[in-house]
Amino acid sequence: MYQSKWRIFTNHAILILGALFMIMPVWIAFASSTHTREFVFQNGLQFWPGEHFFENYGAILFDASATKGRVTALEMLFNSMVLGLGFAIGKVIISMMAAYAIVYFRFKLAVPLFWVVFSTLLLPLEVRIVPSYEVVASLGLLNTYTGLILPLIASATGTFFFRQFYRSVPDELLEAARLDGAGPIRFFIDILVPLSVTMIAAIFIIMFVVGWNQYLWPLLMTTDDQLYTIVIGIKQVYNSLYEGGQIPQFPKAFALTIMATIPPVLVVVVFQRMFVKGLVETEK
Amino acid sequence: MATVTLNQAEKTYANGYKAIHGINLEIQHGEFTVLVGPSGCGKSTLLRMIAGLESISDGEISIDDKVVNKVAPADRDIAMVFQNYALYPHMSNYNNMAYGLRNHGHSKSEIDSKVREAARILQLEDHLERKPSQLSGGQRQRVAMGRAIVRQPKVFLFDEPLSNLDAKLRVDMRLEIKNLQQRLGITSVYVTHDQVEAMTLADRLIVMNGGVAEQIGSPIDIYEKPETLFVAGFIGSPAMNFLPGKVSDDRTHVVVGDKVKLDLDHDVEAGRNVTVGIRPEHFRLCGDDAGPVSASVRMVESLGAETLVYLDFGIGNENVTLRVQGTHQFAKGTVLKLSITPDMIHLFDTETGKRI
Repeated sequence: MYQSKWRIFTNHAILILGALFMIMPVWIAFASSTHTREFVFQNGLQFWPGEHFFENYGAILFDASATKGRVTALEMLFNSMVLGLGFAIGKVIISMMAAYAIVYFRFKLAVPLFWVVFSTLLLPLEVRIVPSYEVVASLGLLNTYTGLILPLIASATGTFFFRQFYRSVPDELLEAARLDGAGPIRFFIDILVPLSVTMIAAIFIIMFVVGWNQYLWPLLMTTDDQLYTIVIGIKQVYNSLYEGGQIPQFPKAFALTIMATIPPVLVVVVFQRMFVKGLVETEK
Repeated sequence: MATVTLNQAEKTYANGYKAIHGINLEIQHGEFTVLVGPSGCGKSTLLRMIAGLESISDGEISIDDKVVNKVAPADRDIAMVFQNYALYPHMSNYNNMAYGLRNHGHSKSEIDSKVREAARILQLEDHLERKPSQLSGGQRQRVAMGRAIVRQPKVFLFDEPLSNLDAKLRVDMRLEIKNLQQRLGITSVYVTHDQVEAMTLADRLIVMNGGVAEQIGSPIDIYEKPETLFVAGFIGSPAMNFLPGKVSDDRTHVVVGDKVKLDLDHDVEAGRNVTVGIRPEHFRLCGDDAGPVSASVRMVESLGAETLVYLDFGIGNENVTLRVQGTHQFAKGTVLKLSITPDMIHLFDTETGKRI
C-alpha cells in the first residue's frame, strides 16, 4: 500500500508519543533513583540520572536496612522468582495435562467438568482468597513456598488455551501415533508437548508476569519477612517513607521499583523471541 | 504376507447410525484390494476397522486367521498411509520413519538400516534430515509410505493417499504405489473415491454404497458385468447411460422411448419394464443411412483424443452420452445414426436395480 510521507510521519509521531507516554514515568523513577535522598527531597523528581546509581542500588540489593525490613532486595527478588517460576511452570504443566485429559480421553462428565473449570475464570482470586487461606493455614503451609504457590497453580485460562490448541491438532496424528505403538503418555511427551512449544512459551510469559505481580496473596500468606516478595517489599518501603522524622528515602524506593520490573521485562523479551520463532516455524 | 478376512463385519455408531452392514470379504496373500465408493459409503470406516482405529460392533475381522477385534492397532502388524500424510511436523523425516520402530523396541542399528533402505527405495535419501514442512506434497506422501514400509507390516492400509496431490503427481504416485506393492508383495487395502485409481490399482475391487459391498470382483469384471445399477453408474467415466425401456413381445427387442428399438439376445420375459444401460463408448457411429438408432446432437465436448456427444433420444430432457475416438465436429441438431451390439447392452430390473 502506498503511504505518503505525511502519513508515515503522523503514524510515527503517534507511535513515538504513545511510547514516550508509557516509558516516561519509568524513566523518571529510574533517573530519580540515582540521586541522594536530600537532593530529591529538595529538588523533586529528576529527569536526568545522577551519580549515585551504584550506591543506591548496592544498598537496596545487599543491605536489609535500606528496604526497611529484615531482608534485602536480592532475597526478595529470589522469593519473587520462586513464586513467578513455580506459578508459571506449575500452571503450564497442570493445565497441559488437564487439557490433555479433556480433549483426548472419553470419560463421563468430561464436558460438564470442562465448563466447571472454565466458569472459574469468572471468579477472581479475591473471591476465594479467604477460604484458600483457611485451607493453606490448616495444612500448616503458611510462610512456605509451597503454600505460596500450590493454591494458585490450577489455571482455567491455561487449560482453556491448551484445550483449544489440542483440538486443532489433526486427529490423524493421534491415529498415526497409535499405529506407531505410542501409548497415551508417549503420545503426550513425543508429539503433543513438542507441538505445543509456542503455546507453552505464550502461557509461560503471561503466567510468570501474573505470578510475579501477585500482591494480595503473598501479603496474606507471608508474615515472615524472609518470604516477602519484591512487590510486597515495595509496599513496605513506601509505607515507611515518612516514618521516624527522617528525610524520605525516595531514591531507594524508586530503585527497588525499577528492580522489580526488570525480571518480567526480561522474561517477556526472551520468550517473545521463542514465541515468534515458534509461530513462524510451526506447521501442522 | 498375510490374509485379511472379514466375517459379517458391522459398525454401528453410538448414536445408532449403522455405517457398515455386515461385510464378508477374504483378501488373499499379497492381494491389492481397493475399496471404492462415493463419500459416506463407509469405505474409510471399514478401513479404519481393519486398522483398529474404529471398534467393530459385530462380526469378526481376522488377520492371518487370528481374530483381531480386540487387538490394539499397534499390535495388528499393519501400517497405514493417511490422506493428509499425518507426519509428525516437529520430527525430521528420518525420525518420522523411525518412530514406530523405536516404540517397538528395535535396536538403533536395525532402525537405521531399515530407514535407510526405505529411503533408498523411495528416493528420499537426500531429505532424511529435513522436516516434513520442507518437502513437497509428493515427497511428504513418500515419507508417509516410508513410515509404513519400515515396519514391514503384514498389511498396508491406504486411506485416500493421493487425494491431496495435484493431477500429474497423482498419476506418478499411483504408478509408484502399484510398483512398490508388487515389489514388496504386501497385502494391501486401498480406499479411494477416484475410479481411475480404483481400476488401475486393484487386483480386486470392492464397490461400496451405503455401508454395503455392492459388488466384489476384478476391475474388468465389474466394468463388464456390473451387478447393480449403482455399480454400473459409478464405475466408468463418463457414466453409463440409463434409459427406461420395455422388452418387446417377441423378446428380440427392447423399446426405449417411442422411437428407439435395440436388438436383444438376453433371456428376459416379454413386456417387462427394464432399465437399459449402455456405456457411452459402446455406441458405434454408423454412416449416414445405416444404423438402427438415430438421435440428434444437443451438445459436443471435444477432449482432443475423444469427443463426447450429448444426444437427444426423445426421452424427455435426459441426455444420452456418446463417446467417440478422435475429434469430430457436429453441429447442434445433426442427426446421427448409431448401432450397438446386443452383448454391450446391460439390462437392470427397474424395481430392484439388479442386473438381469
